[in-house]
This record gives sequence, structure tokens and C-alpha cells, in this order.
Amino acid sequence: MSEWEPEPHTLAGAYAMDALDGPDRARFERHLERCEECTREVAGLHEATARLAAAAAARPPAPLKDSLLAETARTRQLPPVTRGTPQAIARTGPAGRERRLGRFPGWVRAPRLAVALAGVAVLAAVAVWAGGTVGRVPGQPPVSHAVATVLTAPDLTVITGRVRTGGTATVMMSRRERMLVFAAAGLRALPGSRCYELWLMQPGRDRPAGLLPMPSHGMSGPVVASGLRAGDRLGLTVEPATGSPRPTTAMILVLTL
Amino acid sequence: MSPSPSRSGAPGAGADLAALLAQVAKGDHAAFAAVYDRVAAPVFGTVRSVVRDPSLSEEVTQEVFVEVWRAASRFDACKGSPMAWVATIAHRRAVDRVRSEQRSAARDRRTAAPLIAYDDVAETVADNLDRERVRRCLGALTDLQREAVTLAYYGGYTYREVAGLLGVPAGTVNTRMRDGLIRLRDCLGASR
Repeated sequence: MSEWEPEPHTLAGAYAMDALDGPDRARFERHLERCEECTREVAGLHEATARLAAAAAARPPAPLKDSLLAETARTRQLPPVTRGTPQAIARTGPAGRERRLGRFPGWVRAPRLAVALAGVAVLAAVAVWAGGTVGRVPGQPPVSHAVATVLTAPDLTVITGRVRTGGTATVMMSRRERMLVFAAAGLRALPGSRCYELWLMQPGRDRPAGLLPMPSHGMSGPVVASGLRAGDRLGLTVEPATGSPRPTTAMILVLTL
Repeated sequence: MSPSPSRSGAPGAGADLAALLAQVAKGDHAAFAAVYDRVAAPVFGTVRSVVRDPSLSEEVTQEVFVEVWRAASRFDACKGSPMAWVATIAHRRAVDRVRSEQRSAARDRRTAAPLIAYDDVAETVADNLDRERVRRCLGALTDLQREAVTLAYYGGYTYREVAGLLGVPAGTVNTRMRDGLIRLRDCLGASR
């Protein structure tokens, strides 16, 4: 350990393959908690390692299934993560991907406050990210850089809207930078096989603009969308978990940008 | 074991698996059995490639699936594919087990193992389409990238151990692992 201290973000590949031992892994996971783009990069690399796993497929001995089913029959399941779940418990699985954006009790009864706080949460997150290292995901703008760019743009515009099925959305946008940051609070929970998907819309031509991760403490996002065009509107739909190339359900939010 | 493991890469398979996991989260045992049928081969194959010992591999595989059962409600389909979620749990479990065994018994039985692991792995399931694509995409990497990726993933070595095995600096191994995985991801069209 020690003779050589790696830059955390260069470890994404090693981390995705569990090639980090004890202290290295712990350090990288601390880094992941405040590095949105590293989290995104690791998620992408895990899609690749899943294919390595599929390539290694080997049938397990048949009796394994029976003894496993007997064991799960007497094993209690973890409850879903809710706003009341402490972070230490909420965090599960190798990636430990829950992120603290802030805790806002009472937002249900105060939607206006929630919108304001959502903005504050994004700002707070930016402050944290500013200290983090930017590692680029090919094809996607690094989130912290994008958020900072939007928030410091002279033409920063903030738009809020109410989501038809519940919850409020906040968009921070810079036309000059052709970029926006989306966050939402209090969105209705979806079944596990569905996700909220964002759209940039022109008449007859809707472009997918990203999937919202499951809410943490009632907050979803932030998601960055770049490549804004004049006349774009922002839409939100519910789609199958893998995302859709085109909206397949009714818009539950439409914002004129 | 009904469906062939190669289905894991088929379009639509991920959405089905995500829907099954959502059922599992609600305590549906039949859905869990279906998830097992779908991913047991990749899970067992991955675990065995790292752990090597057959009975220990079965034990770890069972632990992996108990974890899938317990934590199904924590799976977020909007962040990644269900196969990636399961495979990540499996690989992490296998590696952690091997490393804790390593610590308790100074063992060296795996010394030569990873060097044969990849070829070995290739023999395991017939008609595996994923295997062909992965083999092709691994072939497109530089030698150092490919060795670093296969030693780490199939061999379960840390990057420092890989650096020692390959006789290159740890920092070099790190960047090769990351670059190799990124190229692999792009070659496999594995991003969502």
C-alpha cells in the first residue's frame, strides 16, 4: 500500500473488477459518494463486467437450487430504502451508491419549500463536487462540471413545475451553454421495472435526455442534459427500466424552456 | 436450467429480469426461482473462475443468491441492468471470499490458475453467444489491457497483484484496466 498513492478516479476500472483491496476500496468508495461522474462511469463499466460474467457461464449442480430455495424461504428480506432509512443501512451492495443530497422532513406538506430546497440541495451537491475530481464518461458531460457551468452562467434560468402524477420538478438552465440540470422532489414511487425518463422535445422529434435514478430521501437527480436547441421543451414520462428511444407513455410533465 | 445463458445479452431480457426482481422484492418465491434459472450459470461460472474450488464455489453461489433475495428491493433498474447488479454481487462475493481465505491460510494453490482461467472459462457452456463476442472484444484490446482485465476479473487478483504478475508499475496496470474495460464496454455495446 503506500509507496504509490493513486488518483481516486483512475481506479474506476480496478474498482469495477473488485481489484481494489481493503483500504484502496474504502478510499475509492468514499470518493464515489461525492463523485457523480465516477459513479456513472463505474455503472457503465459494470455493464461490461456483466458481459465478462455471462461469458464465463457454467451450469451449477442441480441440487444447489433446492437448497437455495429452502434457505431463502427462511430468510427475511431487506425493506426498500425510504426517506426514513438511515444511510448506513440504506447502503447495500458492492457499489454503495446511495448519495446524501440532504434531508428534508415535511416536504410533502410544503411543495414550494421542497422546490426551493431541491435547488439548494443541487447547490450543496455542487459545492461538494467542486472538490472532487472530474473523470469523463465518453459521450456524456461530466456532471459536476456541467452543474457548475449552468449555475455560474450569466443567463441561468430556474423553472419549476408540478409533475402530474405527484411531485415537483426544478430545472436550472443556461441557453448560452445549451445545458440544463434537472432535479425533482416527491415523485411517486415506481415499480422496479419502470423508470422516469427525461425528454428534450421538438415537434415530431423527441430526444431521450436521461433516466432518473431511484429517489434518495425523496429527491431524484440531478440529471444533466446537454445539447439544448432553440424551441426545446422538456418532458418526463414513465418508461421501461432500460429506457426508451421514444416516449411510450403520456407526458406527466412538460416545461417550455 | 431452462433458458440459455446467452439470453442475458438479448434485447428485452434485461427488462424481463428487472420485472422479475421487482416481484422478488415483494417476496415472490416463484419469481426468485425464475431469476435463479436466468442468471445461475453466469453467477456460478464467475464465482468458480475466481474461487476455483468446486464446493466452495457452490457455497459462494448460494450466498450470492441469498443476497439477491434479501436485497432485491435495493436494485435500481434506472441505474444499471439487472444482470450487472447480480454479476457485481457475485464477483464481489467471490473475490472477498478468496481474499479472506488467503489471509487465514497462507495458500498458493491459485498461483497458476488465472493464467488458464480464461481458456478454461471458454469450455464451460456450449452455444454461449456472449462468450464469442467477449472473446472477440478481448482480442481487440492491447496485450497488457487484456491480461490486466482477465487477471483481475477471472483471476480475482488485486491490481497490485496484477502489477506484480505482469512486472509493470501499479499505476500502469490501473490505467490499462480502466482503458481496457472502457474499450470492452464500447465493443460489446454494453452501455445502456
